Amino acid sequence: MHRRLFMKTSAAAALAAGLPAAPSLAQEPADFHIAAVLAFSGAYGIIGKDMRQGVEIAVAERQGRVLGKPIRISWEDDETRPQPAVQKATRLLANGAQMIFGAVGSASTLALQSLADQRKVPLLVTISADDKITRVGGSRYTFRTSNTLGMEIRMCVEFAKARGLKKIYGVTADYQATRDGWELFQAEAKKAGIGIVGNDYAPLGNRDFSVIVDKMAKSDADGIAVIITGNDAVTFLKQSGQVGLGKTKAQFGPVLQDETLAAAVGPASVGVFSGVRYHFSVENAANKKFVEAYRAKYNEWPSSFAGEAYDGMSWWLDVVDATKSWDREKWVEAFRTSTRENSVEGRKVMRTCDHQAAQVGLWGEVVEGQAPLPPLTMKITNTFDAANLFEAC
Amino acid sequence: MSTIVIGLSLSFLLFLLAAGLTLIFGMLGVINFAHGALYMLGAYVCFQIVNWTGSFWIGLMFAPIVVAALGAAMEMAALKPVYERDHIYQLLLTFGFILVIEEAVKIVWGLDYKQVPTPDVFSQPVALFGSQIPSYRLFIIGFGATVSLALFLLLERSRLGMVIRAASSDADMAQTLGIDVAKVRTGVFALGAGLAALGGVVAAPLVPIELGMGFSVIIDCFVVVIIGGLGNIRGAILAALLLGMARAAGFTYAPEWVELITFVLLIATLMTRPAGLFSRKGRAA
Repeated sequence: MHRRLFMKTSAAAALAAGLPAAPSLAQEPADFHIAAVLAFSGAYGIIGKDMRQGVEIAVAERQGRVLGKPIRISWEDDETRPQPAVQKATRLLANGAQMIFGAVGSASTLALQSLADQRKVPLLVTISADDKITRVGGSRYTFRTSNTLGMEIRMCVEFAKARGLKKIYGVTADYQATRDGWELFQAEAKKAGIGIVGNDYAPLGNRDFSVIVDKMAKSDADGIAVIITGNDAVTFLKQSGQVGLGKTKAQFGPVLQDETLAAAVGPASVGVFSGVRYHFSVENAANKKFVEAYRAKYNEWPSSFAGEAYDGMSWWLDVVDATKSWDREKWVEAFRTSTRENSVEGRKVMRTCDHQAAQVGLWGEVVEGQAPLPPLTMKITNTFDAANLFEAC
Repeated sequence: MSTIVIGLSLSFLLFLLAAGLTLIFGMLGVINFAHGALYMLGAYVCFQIVNWTGSFWIGLMFAPIVVAALGAAMEMAALKPVYERDHIYQLLLTFGFILVIEEAVKIVWGLDYKQVPTPDVFSQPVALFGSQIPSYRLFIIGFGATVSLALFLLLERSRLGMVIRAASSDADMAQTLGIDVAKVRTGVFALGAGLAALGGVVAAPLVPIELGMGFSVIIDCFVVVIIGGLGNIRGAILAALLLGMARAAGFTYAPEWVELITFVLLIATLMTRPAGLFSRKGRAA
């Protein structure tokens, strides 16, 4: 009896030992599902469209696969509002998304960040610039491969120094992120011995800068720092152009111009300086390959949004692939210590302290382009060293 | 002095933006939420005309006509059946117009910014009172003053204006006297739509032409109309002047308080003279 029981028990134990291990967190799904929550409508709709195009090139380059499985991207419109961003991302995570990509507006991205932290899901950011998104002691699951506003403000200071500007008049969009940006600019400019002769805060969505432009024109500033972007930047430059402000004072800003905004401004944009997040003219093998693929597919030059999205997603997918694991914690660990040697902008290093990619700062001037370039295009005039643009970890 | 000149240009631009809204409300009793969308459409149509012809002036002449025709079609097809119904139906309908117009603009022109350059004749600034004033701003002052005078004369001094006011104040009596009230209403809505578009055309060289531009202007339009008195053209002119000057002064001395100043004026008006600062009972112009 005892012997029979022993034999049965031993057989059962042997059988159990031969069974595969119970499924872990890293159980393989049928595909690699990305929840892409971007702005596809409203004023930021064009950004979402360009980002999607950049990502599609990144996915196509790897034949649409990562970790041996097909990549499936669910594209959702957050309407540039945090609530729809969170609702849609939540639904996609419930449908099995392994990561979140987005958003465009910083408010939406910060909202997604809370969700990513709760659900322990990686969030890849390639456009939102608010400094709070990546900070020391911040989100473990959020990674940003693109510029921060702080970096872009420091580029403005570097430009002012390089240009020999002595006196600056500023105009700043009246919301917190840009107010913080102006405070940083003032502090850094002061350290560099650059005087601030005036600053005006303009309401977001301001349609008339004529009084502010008049004050600038009458001042003895040799540089105009424009800490506004998007529609407001276009409005400002159109109206400053009507008095020829750019002829006597250097107009510059952190994200003041690119090909899209320059086209909206028109000839008044020529001679304006701006931070450039990505540009198709950067000469390296990776960028050349990307630009060729992008133009072949879309018949247009890639915008900064497309370039940053392509670069960030390519980097992320390469790192995920290299882990050979479906364990998200392994992806996070691998990405936070990774370096992208062949980024389209040059070398990028992911900082472990804040999950922000350290990178050079591209700076350019709007010039008239010759075909096949756009009629108004950015010419890269400066490349600022990463060491001058980021605070040490 | 330069602040005054700039203030005048702000004022007349505000008036051009708000005139159509107050006209439609004054004459038809309809609060046209689609006013901003029609303003946007005017800018886009102007862009297209300038693209085809190279002439801002042709755009200025024809874009309002195109949008006025569309306004007439909108009124005949959709608004006419709801005049006798509760105001909520009119609000919902005009809100629906916004969605339709925005989608149509997106399909035809896409999401990219569009640009209308300043006419060459206004490419150089003018030195006035120690400032370089964009000559286009001086055009806005002159053009805006002309339009406001023309509108005032049309409604106050012309037979057509008399017919419009009659149809507005007592439609049944006017109908009995042989006035085709339905046609008058269509004409008024078309005129209001045309004025909205005119505002869009005049603003086009100053601002980016993009899908959200109508929304950004509608608040200002309502502020002018409420301060001036709903349906009061004269009040709209005076309110636009008040608001434009207040903004110019605000931007000169305290730019971050400009929005506050605007809404303090609005709240003060609603608290002290809710019918409008410049309203007079029974007047529509």
